[in-house]
Amino acid sequence: MTAPPVLEVENLNTSFLLSAGEVKALRDVSFKVHRGEILGLVGESGSGKSITGFSINGLLSPPGKVMSGAIRLHGEDIAGRSTSAMRALRGQTIAMVFQDPMMTLNPVLKIGLQMADALRAHLRISDRECRARSIAALQEVGIPSPEDRINAFPHQLSGGMRQRVAVAIALLHEPDLVIMDEPTTALDVTIQGQILALVQRLCRERGTALIWITHDLAVVAGIADRILVMYAGRIVEDGTVDEVLDTPAHPYTRGLIDSVPSRGQRGKRLQQIPGRMPALTDLPEGCAFRPRCTLATQACAAPQEMRTLAGRHVRCCRPLAEVSA
Amino acid sequence: MSGPVLTVKNASRKFGDGGDLVVSTLARLGLIRRPPVVTAVDDVSFELERGKVLGIVGESGCGKSTLGRMIAGLLPPTSGEITLHLEDGVSRALPMQMIFQDPFSSLNPRKRVHDLVGEAPRVHRVVDPGELEAYVDRLMERCGIDPSVRQRFAHQFSGGQRQRIGIARALAVEPEILVADEAVSALDVSVQAQIINLFMDLRDEFELTYVFISHDLGVVEHIADTILVMYLGRVVEMGPAEDVFRQPLHPYTRALIDGVPRLDRRRVTYEPIAGDIPSPIDPPSGCHFHPRCPFARETCRTDRPETRTINGRDVVCHFAEEIASEEEPSPWPATQTV
Repeated sequence: MTAPPVLEVENLNTSFLLSAGEVKALRDVSFKVHRGEILGLVGESGSGKSITGFSINGLLSPPGKVMSGAIRLHGEDIAGRSTSAMRALRGQTIAMVFQDPMMTLNPVLKIGLQMADALRAHLRISDRECRARSIAALQEVGIPSPEDRINAFPHQLSGGMRQRVAVAIALLHEPDLVIMDEPTTALDVTIQGQILALVQRLCRERGTALIWITHDLAVVAGIADRILVMYAGRIVEDGTVDEVLDTPAHPYTRGLIDSVPSRGQRGKRLQQIPGRMPALTDLPEGCAFRPRCTLATQACAAPQEMRTLAGRHVRCCRPLAEVSA
Repeated sequence: MSGPVLTVKNASRKFGDGGDLVVSTLARLGLIRRPPVVTAVDDVSFELERGKVLGIVGESGCGKSTLGRMIAGLLPPTSGEITLHLEDGVSRALPMQMIFQDPFSSLNPRKRVHDLVGEAPRVHRVVDPGELEAYVDRLMERCGIDPSVRQRFAHQFSGGQRQRIGIARALAVEPEILVADEAVSALDVSVQAQIINLFMDLRDEFELTYVFISHDLGVVEHIADTILVMYLGRVVEMGPAEDVFRQPLHPYTRALIDGVPRLDRRRVTYEPIAGDIPSPIDPPSGCHFHPRCPFARETCRTDRPETRTINGRDVVCHFAEEIASEEEPSPWPATQTV
């Protein structure tokens, strides 16, 4: 791809400045997202995947703070922007969809009013046009009889419908970048399929760049072009979906994949990763995965740099054999 | 020993009644609206063999948790019977135990781990008071919690560890059947694998029978021997897990299985079943699934399908034979690879 990326994050460091000390939530996070690309950002709770989304969107509130690094949107650094400058971007150029649509939508305002708020944040338009655009947006995400739904309160809609409304609001201004933070985790399988289908179609039609944050590898397997795996605040592996899932280079990625119950494995013991993710306040020296890694050696105690192996990146000094072979 | 450990016969559970005399009279006179009656579980029957794992799957609101609670004895059925067959001479303190989804709200925050696990065996005199401490320590160790933390409170543990405490608490009264209601759904993938492995080890060790309720078909496929698929309170398909996953006979089961994202499915175009699960207050006529079913015909709108037994499986669909006779099941349009 020759076009500049929609988003380029370089050496992003985000910390929480607590009275007990600095907690480094993100360290040296770098990646790019191109137009029309779907990037899957995968990690367990506490890996920093949501904080990455919040940092990009400028939604961190104290004690969270972007300490250093660049967040370039269409080549322009937005990392140090003021709140009001970020407000001009949010919704317009970057939009975000969160996990729980009951928490994102205001329970005491009708859907239509909430959509109008989002529209009027960036546009001066008449009531009539506002209504027409809201209805069109609801129609596009597949909400039946949008003329009526626009007068509904969030609690009158099902979970799947609410998430559709959240997606519709995020897409109102046709943003260049949409960040979805576990948008289907709270939904049923069939509804999850509907949201996946919807997002996939809209991205393809409009060329929107998408970051899909999830802990579920299987969800991103179906839609993502590239996958980033995060562990304890760092990206540990970065590659295309096939590379990462078929020949994982980092032992942690391998462990994650093996933990997922899959077909043909009925009744067998699942391969489990021993132990659990260390607290960010208490990270071991060198590779953070070292204490849980079965392949760890002395060399792992040294700080790990991101290494490039045949076009992909992995933060491991002893990447799994299949890759180097 | 063989034979069923649990028999569920035509169990139904309704919530809400017609109201008291005043309410029902006023409703009859058309002065107020009759309070709705929701049939959460509608005429469910099955037998569960000792040592087997029954997986109950379905979307939210399908009644799977209500059925689980009835099996665990937390809710009496409105009609029908749930019978437990215990071995002679074996006195089990509390034969059915439940493990809940949310390990954050199912453990008393004011109790220490030792009391959380030890209270029930103490009250029910499962062990001598003098041996209680050693008994609890043994259980904690078996479930993967270091006994040295017995004085801690629940909030001092991670989600996975709390779920281990919940399992230890359930095991403490020597149950026959464990009902796990979405017990691994709130956990991270790597922790989920640890807990699933623990469940399977404990089953072998304590000869437990599980009722495993989950909306995650991958997990259920992994550990269940028998699958029971529910839709709006009714069973739509039930049979050996392997068969059901290999060739689902009910269109709903097919849609569920095909709609599950899987690691080996890349760049797929999702074409899921349309619509939401209808409200159980006013379920569709005939076959509950017909408004969302691409194969629905006139009969499906009017007649409630009977349970048919095909190849050792119960299917509640008018056209189950037709689907079963297909040589190669026609691919459901849910996903296609680009």
